[in-house]
Amino acid sequence: MTTLDTLLLFSLLTVLVSGLGVRLKMIGWVSAIMFAAQFVALLFMGGLGYGGSAIESSVSLTILNQPLSWRFDSLSWFFALITIGSALASSIFAAGIWAKKFHKHDGKPGLLQFAIALNVFTMLLLLASGDLLSLFVGWELVSWASLLLMVMAGGSSSQWGLRYIVYATAGAMAVLAGIGLIYHLTGSFSYADLANTAATFSSTNIVILSLLFIAGFGVKMGLLPFHLWQAGAYAEAPGPGSAFLGAISSRMGLYAMLVVVIQLIGLARLIAIEIPFSFLSLRDMLMWVAAFTIIFPTFTALRQNDARHLLAWHGIGQGGYMMMGILVLNPLGSAGGLLHVFNYASNQAALFLAISAVVYRTHTADLNRLGGLVTRMPLTFVVLLVGIIGLAGIPPMNGFVSKWLIYRSLIVEGMPLLFVATVIGTLGTILSVYKLIHNTFLGQLRLEHEHIREVPWSMLAPMLVLASVVFMTGFMPGLVLDWVVSAQAALGIPQLAHTLGGVESATGNLDMIWITLVLFGGFGVGALLFYSGNKAKRVHQLDNYAGGHFLTADDRYHYSNNFYAGLMHHIGSWYRGTFKWLESSIISIVSLLSGSTQRLFHSFHPALFLLIAATLSLYFFVG
Amino acid sequence: MNNIAFNVALPLLTAFLLPIISSGSKSATRFVGPFVLLAMLWFALAYFNVLQHPVAIALGGFLPPLGISFHLDNLSLLMAALIPLMMLLLWPYNNREGFREESLLLLLAGAASGLALSGDLFNIYVFYELLSVASFGLAAANRTAAAFAATFRYVIISGLGTVLALTGIALIYTQTGTLNLAHIGLLASQLNNPVGLSAFALIVIGIGVKAEIFPVNGWVPEVYSTASPRISALLAGLISKLAVLVIIRLLVVAYQGSQALTLLLVLGMLGIIWGELSAWHSKDLKRMFSFSSIGQLGMVLVAFSIPGDAGMAAGIAMMLHHLVVKPGMFLLTENWNGPIKKLKGAATSSPLAAFLFMLFALSMIGVPPLPGFWAKLLLVTGLVEANAPLYIIALVVLLTATVIEAHYLMSTALKIFSRGKKKHFKKLLQTPFNLTIATIFGAVLLAALFTLTPLGNKLNQIATESSDRSLYIKTTLSLKLPPQVKQQVSKVQ
Amino acid sequence: MNEILLTIIEVIMMPIVAFIVGLFMVLMMRKLAARLQRRIGPPLFQPLYDIIKLYGKQTQISHGLIHDIGIIMAVGGYVAAEALLPVPGMDGIAAKGGLVTLAYLTMVPSLGLALGVGQCANPNGSIGISRALTSMLAYDIPFIIVVFGVAYHFSSTNLVSIIATQQAGGISTWGISEMPVLALAGLFALHASLGKQPFEIYIAPAEIATGPMVEMGGKFLGGLFVMQSFQLYTASVLYVSLFLGGGENWITFLLKCFAVLAIPIIIAYLFPRYRTDDLVRLVWKWPVMLALIGVAFVMN
Repeated sequence: MTTLDTLLLFSLLTVLVSGLGVRLKMIGWVSAIMFAAQFVALLFMGGLGYGGSAIESSVSLTILNQPLSWRFDSLSWFFALITIGSALASSIFAAGIWAKKFHKHDGKPGLLQFAIALNVFTMLLLLASGDLLSLFVGWELVSWASLLLMVMAGGSSSQWGLRYIVYATAGAMAVLAGIGLIYHLTGSFSYADLANTAATFSSTNIVILSLLFIAGFGVKMGLLPFHLWQAGAYAEAPGPGSAFLGAISSRMGLYAMLVVVIQLIGLARLIAIEIPFSFLSLRDMLMWVAAFTIIFPTFTALRQNDARHLLAWHGIGQGGYMMMGILVLNPLGSAGGLLHVFNYASNQAALFLAISAVVYRTHTADLNRLGGLVTRMPLTFVVLLVGIIGLAGIPPMNGFVSKWLIYRSLIVEGMPLLFVATVIGTLGTILSVYKLIHNTFLGQLRLEHEHIREVPWSMLAPMLVLASVVFMTGFMPGLVLDWVVSAQAALGIPQLAHTLGGVESATGNLDMIWITLVLFGGFGVGALLFYSGNKAKRVHQLDNYAGGHFLTADDRYHYSNNFYAGLMHHIGSWYRGTFKWLESSIISIVSLLSGSTQRLFHSFHPALFLLIAATLSLYFFVG
Repeated sequence: MNNIAFNVALPLLTAFLLPIISSGSKSATRFVGPFVLLAMLWFALAYFNVLQHPVAIALGGFLPPLGISFHLDNLSLLMAALIPLMMLLLWPYNNREGFREESLLLLLAGAASGLALSGDLFNIYVFYELLSVASFGLAAANRTAAAFAATFRYVIISGLGTVLALTGIALIYTQTGTLNLAHIGLLASQLNNPVGLSAFALIVIGIGVKAEIFPVNGWVPEVYSTASPRISALLAGLISKLAVLVIIRLLVVAYQGSQALTLLLVLGMLGIIWGELSAWHSKDLKRMFSFSSIGQLGMVLVAFSIPGDAGMAAGIAMMLHHLVVKPGMFLLTENWNGPIKKLKGAATSSPLAAFLFMLFALSMIGVPPLPGFWAKLLLVTGLVEANAPLYIIALVVLLTATVIEAHYLMSTALKIFSRGKKKHFKKLLQTPFNLTIATIFGAVLLAALFTLTPLGNKLNQIATESSDRSLYIKTTLSLKLPPQVKQQVSKVQ
Repeated sequence: MNEILLTIIEVIMMPIVAFIVGLFMVLMMRKLAARLQRRIGPPLFQPLYDIIKLYGKQTQISHGLIHDIGIIMAVGGYVAAEALLPVPGMDGIAAKGGLVTLAYLTMVPSLGLALGVGQCANPNGSIGISRALTSMLAYDIPFIIVVFGVAYHFSSTNLVSIIATQQAGGISTWGISEMPVLALAGLFALHASLGKQPFEIYIAPAEIATGPMVEMGGKFLGGLFVMQSFQLYTASVLYVSLFLGGGENWITFLLKCFAVLAIPIIIAYLFPRYRTDDLVRLVWKWPVMLALIGVAFVMN
C-alpha cells in the first residue's frame, strides 16, 4: 500500500460516504473532514512537490490484454493539490449554513458534496494515470462526473449540461482516435513506448496527433472554438460547485495536454512543422489559438450581466494564458503557465465563493440588481477585491507573478503580437472585474439590501483562507514556484531558476517581496498623508446627490447597465456571435440530415430499398 | 454427444405439442415452456463446459457434404446458450390468455438454435424461414391495428429478403456444388469471382433484413414501436445477432477477400449514419431505441468487416454488449411511451428505471469503465490497425455517431432527471415485472464490469477460434468423409 | 546588510524627490497653459499651497472607508512606483521589478481611484471611471507595444541596464535615435495616459461634472493632486529612461524630463477633446500602427 493508494482510497471513501449519506444533515461536515483527510494524505506525498521521484500505485489491471496502471509524479501532485484544495474550500463553504438555505430552496446539499467528491476522485484517477488507456478512462470519468455537478441545479443548467456533454463527447472521441492512432504506431498504450518512438513518427502523423489531442483536450479547456459550453455550464452550477468547477475542472484538459503533447510527443516536433502558405509553425498556430482564447472570451465577459457568467467567461480566457505560457517553451513561459494554474484556481475559487456569498444574501447575481454592498458585507468585499486584483494580474497578488512570467517569456522569445494579445486580455480583464466589483459592492445600495448582514463564518473562513493564499503566494511566489519547477522537471522541460521572491535572471528580475513591501510602504505614506489632513466627516451611504439635487434612496441611479458604453460603441459591432452561428449551423445541418433520413424510412416501402440495395451491391461486384 | 440436437428438436416439438397440452391443462402450458428452455440451457452449458476444441456433428449419420451437420464451437454454443437464457428472461410469465405466444416463442427458440448451430447453408435457410415465421407472429402478437400494419411491412420485406438469400445460396451451389459451409470453405477459390461475390451480396442483403442492415431495415422502427417491449427486446437483442452470425460464418469460411469486407463495411457505415441520425430526430423513446439499434448493428457490421482476429473480437464484443443493453432499454419503454417531452420528471416517480436508463445509455455511448467502452475500444483499435482509407472513414463515422448518440441519449436522460410533475408516472408501478428483468440486464452489465479481465480473455479465445478458417474446415471434415471430398481436401492442403 | 539599508534609504528618498519634481511639473503645466492663454500663471509655490489648502479644508466629506482607502491607494501606488524608477545616483528596487512590473504597478493607483469613486455612489463618477478605464485600455496597448520594442531592443526589462546601455553608447545609442518610430508612438501613448486634453473625456466638467472627481473635495482632491504630480513625474521619467538615455546627472535628467513633458502639455492646451470612442479609434489606429512599425524595425 503506497501513499498514492492511501490517497485514492481516501478519495473513494469520500465518494462512498457522501453517496450513502446523501440525505443526512451532517454529511456536509463529514465530507469536508474527509476532504481534509485527502489533503493530509496528499501532504504525505509532499516530497513530490520538491522533486521527489514518482510514486506508483500498487493497483494495476489487465483488460483485453492491455495493462492499466496508475502513478503520481510531481506534475500530478501539483494539480492534485489544487484539486483537493479547491474541493476542500468549496466543501466547507457548502457544509454549514449555506446548505440549510440551499435545502430550503429545493436543492440537495448532500448530492452537491457527493458530486464534488466524485469529481475529485475521478480527477485524481486522471492525474494518476500511468498509460494512455488509464488516461482516457480517467478523462471520460472526469467529463461525466462534472456533468453531474453541472446539471444538479436543474432548470436552465440542464441545457448547458447537455451542450457540455456533446462538446465533451466530441472531444473524447477525438482523443480516442488519437490514442487509437498511437496504438497503431507504437503497438501499445504505454507512455514509455510513445515517448521512445515519437521521434520516428512522420510529420503527417504528428500533425494529426497533435490536432486530435489538442482539439480533444482543448474542449475541456474551452479552447477556441470549443468554448461555447463552458461559461454557462460552470456558472449555473450551485455556488460552491461553480467555485470548484471554475477553479480546476477545465485544467484537467491542460494536464492531459501537458502529458501527451509536451511530455510524450514533445513540443520540438510541433515547432519543426511548418504550416504551408504561412509563416507559422504548428506551435505558432496553437499559440494564436491561445491568444484568441485569451481575447475573445475576456471581452465576452465584459458584456455579461450575471456575475457568475462573467467570472466563468474569464475562466476560459485565463486558460488561454496557461496554454500560451506552456507553448512558449522557455523556462519562464512554462513556469508561468503552470504557476497560473495554481494562481488562477485560488483567484477563481475565492471569486466564485464571494459571489455565492452575495447570492446567498441577495438571491441574485444580476449585476444590474446589486450595488453598494461594501458596507453590508465588508469581508466578502475584501475577498472579492483580492480575487479581482489577482485575476486581473496586478501586483501584489499572485496572478501578477504568473502573468509576468508569461509576458517576460514572450519578450525574450521576441513575439510582439502575442505579447500584445496577452496584454489586451489583461486590460479587458481589468475593465470587466472593475465592473464586477463596482456593480455589486460599490455605488448605490438598494433599499431592499439595506439590512442584510455579512455571511456567517462557515462561509467566510474558506473565502478568507483563499484570499490569503492569493496574497501570500503573490508575496512569496517562490513557495509555489518550487512545486512548479518540480513539475517542469517531471515534464522534462527546462526549469526556471527562482528565488523565494520570484525570478533571478540577468535580463530582468522579479522580487515580489521587495515590491510588495514597498507597495505597502507606499500605502502607508499615502495613509499618513491622508490622515494628516483635516478629519473627514462620514456621510451616510444613502445620502447622495447628482446633478445638483439630492437623490432619495428609491431613485435608482446606480450606473451599472452598459457600463462601458463608449467602448461598446466602438467594438460592439465586433461581437458577431460567429461561434454561436457556427454551432447552430452544425445543429441545423444535423437536423436537416436526420429529418431527411427519417423521412426516407417513411416515404418509400422498405422493399424498394431492398431492391435498390441488391442491385447496387450486385453492380459493385459484377459491374 | 448428440444431445445438442435436442436444443433444436425439443422446442420445435413442444411448440407443436403446446396446443394439445393446453387443451389438457392450462397450468402445464405455463410451465412446459420455461422447462424446455431450462433444458436447452442445460444442454448448451454442459457442452460449453466440456468443449476443448470445435466439434462437428453429423446428424442422423448422414455425412457432410450431403447430410445435416452441426458445427459446435465456442461462438455457436454461446449463442445456443444465450437463446434459451434470453427467452427465459423475456418469457411472458404473466400471460394467461393461451398458448399462442408461448408456442411461437418456442418455435423461435428452436429455429434460432438451429441457425446458430447449423453447418450448412440449406439448413440455415430452413431455420431462417422458420425463424421468420415465428417472429412475424410475435411481432403481431398484441393484435393492435398498428402492429398488424407494421408486421405486414415486415412480412413483405422479409419475404423478398428470403428470396434473395435463396438465390444467393443457389448461386453458391452452382459454383461449388455443395452447401456445407466447410466444404464451401474448401472450394472458396471458386467463389472469388463476380458470381460468387454476387451470391454473398444477395445473402447479406437477404439475411440482412433480420440483422437490421441498412437499407433493408425499414420494418425496424415500425415493428419495434408497435410490438410489446419484450418482443422488441427479443428481436433487437437476440434475433438480429443470429442473422449476423450467419453472415460472419460465411465471411470466415469463404469470403476473406477485401471486396466482401468492403461491402459489409459500407453497409455498416451507412447503417450507423442512417440509424443514429434518425434516432436523433425521433420524438418517441421506442422509435429512438429502434433507430439506435440500427446504428448499433451498423457498428457490429463495421467491426466484422475488419479482417482477422481483431475484427472478430470487436464484433463479438459489440454484439454481446448490444445483446445486453438494448433489451434492457426496450423493457424500460413499457410505461415511457409517447413523446419524449412527456418524460419530464420521470426519475422522481421511478428512480430505479431512471438509473437503469442512465446506466444503459452510458454504456451504449461507451463511457469507461462500462463494458460498452471496451467493446468500442476494440472497434477503434481494430479500425486503426486495419489502416486503410475506408476504415479510417469508418472510424470518423463511428466517432461522430457516438457524439450524436450522446446528444440524443443525454437530452432524454436530462428530461427524465429534470424536476417535473410526478402524477404521470404512477403507472409504472403496475408492471414491476419488466422493470425487474431490466434490472437483471443492468446487473449483468455491472457484473461484466467487475469481471472484465476474465471476460476479455474468453472473448479473445472465442474470437481467435471463430476467425480461424482452416480450423472450421478441418473440424467438419474430420468426420468420416466420402472419398471425393477427401480428395479435394488433400488437393487443397 | 549594508546593501539592504542603502536600498531602503533610496526607496524612501526616491518618492520624496519625485514629489518635489512632480510639483514643479504641475507648476510648469499651469505656467505653460497660462502663457498659451496669455495669462501670467501661478507663483512658484502655488501647487504646494494648493495641496496644503486642500488637506486643511474644513469640509471633508467621506462616503465611506473605501472612499478613503481609494485615495490612499492612489497616492501609495505611485509612491511605490517611484521606487522602481531609477534616477541619477539612485536605483531603488528598479532591478528587482523592471519595466513590466512598473507598467502594472502604475495600475494600482488607477484601481484605487476607481474603487474610491465607486464607493461615492455618484453616477457621474461611475461614468467617469468607465471612461477612464476605457481610455486606459486604449493607450496601454500602444504603450505596451513600445515597452516590448524597447525591452526586445535592449534584450532586458531591467530599467537600470537599459539606461546603462544607452549612457555607455552615447546619444547615437539612445532609444530615440535607434528607435525613432517607437519613440514617437511612446510620446503619443504618454500623452494619452496623462488624461490631458484632448484625452480628458473622463473628466468632462461640462457633462459629468468632472467625472471621477465629482465627489472629491478637501484632502480627497488633495490626494488626487499629489497623485497627478507623481503621474507627471512617472510618465516623463519613464520616457526619458526608455528613449533619452536616462539621467547622467541631475541637471540633464531634469532638463530632459521637463522637455518631454512640455510637448504633450502644449498640445493639450492647443487642442479640444475627443469622445471616448473617438479616443479609442484614434489611439488604436495611429500609435498602435506606429508602435508596430517601430517594433518591426527593432526586431529586424
